[in-house]
Amino acid sequence: MHPILARLERLAGYLALWGAVGVFESAVLTQQGLTWPEALVQVLPPLLVYSFVCLSAWYVCRATPLATSGVPRVLTASIVAAWVGAALWLALNEAWLATLESMPQVTPIIPRFRTQIPFLFAVSVMLYLLVLSVHYVVLSFEAFRTAERQQLELQVLNRDAELRALRAQVDPHFLYNCLNSISALTGSDAAAARRMCLLLAEFLRTTLRVSMQQSITMAEELSLAERFLSIEQVRFGARLQVEQSIDENALECQVPPLVLQPLLENAVGHGIAGMVDGGTIRLDVVRRGDRLSITVENPRDPDAVPRKRGGVGLENVRKRLAVVFGGAARMDAAASPTGFRVAIDLPSTVDA
Amino acid sequence: MPEASSLPLRVAVVDDEPLARAVLCEFLSAEPNVEVVAQCANGFEAVKAVSELTPDLLLLDVQMPKLDGFEVLDLVGRDVAVVFTTAYDQYALRAFEVHAVDYLLKPVSAERLSEALARVRERLDRGERSASAGTRAGAMAAAGREGYAHRVLVRDGPRVHVIPVDKIDYVQAQDDYVCFRSEGKDYLKEQTLGEVETSLDPAAFVRIHRSYLLNLARLVRVDQDERENRVAVLTDGRRLPVSRAGYTRLNSLL
Repeated sequence: MHPILARLERLAGYLALWGAVGVFESAVLTQQGLTWPEALVQVLPPLLVYSFVCLSAWYVCRATPLATSGVPRVLTASIVAAWVGAALWLALNEAWLATLESMPQVTPIIPRFRTQIPFLFAVSVMLYLLVLSVHYVVLSFEAFRTAERQQLELQVLNRDAELRALRAQVDPHFLYNCLNSISALTGSDAAAARRMCLLLAEFLRTTLRVSMQQSITMAEELSLAERFLSIEQVRFGARLQVEQSIDENALECQVPPLVLQPLLENAVGHGIAGMVDGGTIRLDVVRRGDRLSITVENPRDPDAVPRKRGGVGLENVRKRLAVVFGGAARMDAAASPTGFRVAIDLPSTVDA
Repeated sequence: MPEASSLPLRVAVVDDEPLARAVLCEFLSAEPNVEVVAQCANGFEAVKAVSELTPDLLLLDVQMPKLDGFEVLDLVGRDVAVVFTTAYDQYALRAFEVHAVDYLLKPVSAERLSEALARVRERLDRGERSASAGTRAGAMAAAGREGYAHRVLVRDGPRVHVIPVDKIDYVQAQDDYVCFRSEGKDYLKEQTLGEVETSLDPAAFVRIHRSYLLNLARLVRVDQDERENRVAVLTDGRRLPVSRAGYTRLNSLL
């Protein structure tokens, strides 16, 4: 919708400005011997019609936005539109003044009009261009405001995602099971119980700290993952084995916090925990040029009844990647009867 | 010395996590007149232990590989009292629906375990096992939780047969039992056909007769014999009777 036509007070203001131009022009004519009514009746009507013609500048602006169109294009479009507009105005005046010429009580100004056509043409071209530039200003102002709002929305989404990730991260059942393990160890192996307490405290502290940050290094994410797996290994014993291959060059890369974590939680909870003899989780981190890829693979019991609760953590990661990287990052999950594989591919950025 | 009325309570501890078993055993060892007869790491071992050792009580974890706690209860609930132990409180309602004696949240405390044992003893003194209607309630709970059953479990002494529902040809009522026909074998289970029917997807299994529940995927055609009786012909050539009501149900699905 046209920004001036859309609101009555804007249209009124706009027409008032044009009215002022008309009054000024009439005042000049009264200096040349015309009465006010004679001057106004001949000047105002074509001018007001022209004011609406000038509103077409909006569509010219929309069709050739400053941001994406080159200077020659913008100039050509503006000049052509202004010339067409001005020609229209002259034609309007000619028609209106000729109609009034036959009326006896009006001193015709048409002869004077005809002698000044080149000058009037130039003036109306300038007026059109003025309106056009006002439209451009309005448009860029609106674009700026939209960008600002989107920026804010993105921040809110980010914060929201972090909170949700955090909640998903420190699954209370993970904690309860941990505490149960610690409770068991205190009876049999007090030193091991103490180690588990420390591991858990470290894990919680790191999780809380990194979840407040926009991005952390891959090395930090990996050390968090290691703590998580150590804790789970206390619970599952020999059933949980881990093999990993980490590219040294990947360690300095920046990643959103807690992207690897939910993948491992999923691998343990939906893979290893469902297997009588357990299995091996495979973690690969590779940096190739400007891309970083993180892959987690786990075996699973082919006979297991698929659990409904799965996938929330993974879905969270997918959403967060979309918020942070847009289309530049992707996550692929592939399930086979005997295993599950999640691969994340994202831009490898390094903090300067 | 224990009196005759307080024979030792024989307990089997079932959990896939060694430490979770360890803490329960530690607490149990401090309890008077309790004997741990088995430690099981999964549901199959639990069913085997119930058959071979006939414990009075199963301390049963819910989330385990192969068979979960509810499936174990479904299989052995008639023979043994069950107390669930889990970190998840969302199963509590279901646990009581299937007549578990108690429901312990991890981390488990020794006091709470004592209370549960007292409750079990009380029930045993009254001569009740945990789930007098264990199978029935188990099947109903199984149907109610996550849509329809994916598989049917049948206990054969210490062994458990796992039958995926798409491998079932039909189910036949036989007195107090039902018989699942699958891949040329029959599996008997103490259950009613109505209970089986409610646990299976009604779009896949049709009650074609008072005594028969048919997997639609096995149906080739419906014939009429010389006495105007309708007969369902299955992919393996077997013929099952179709009642009038069953025929109406079949037609509404086909």
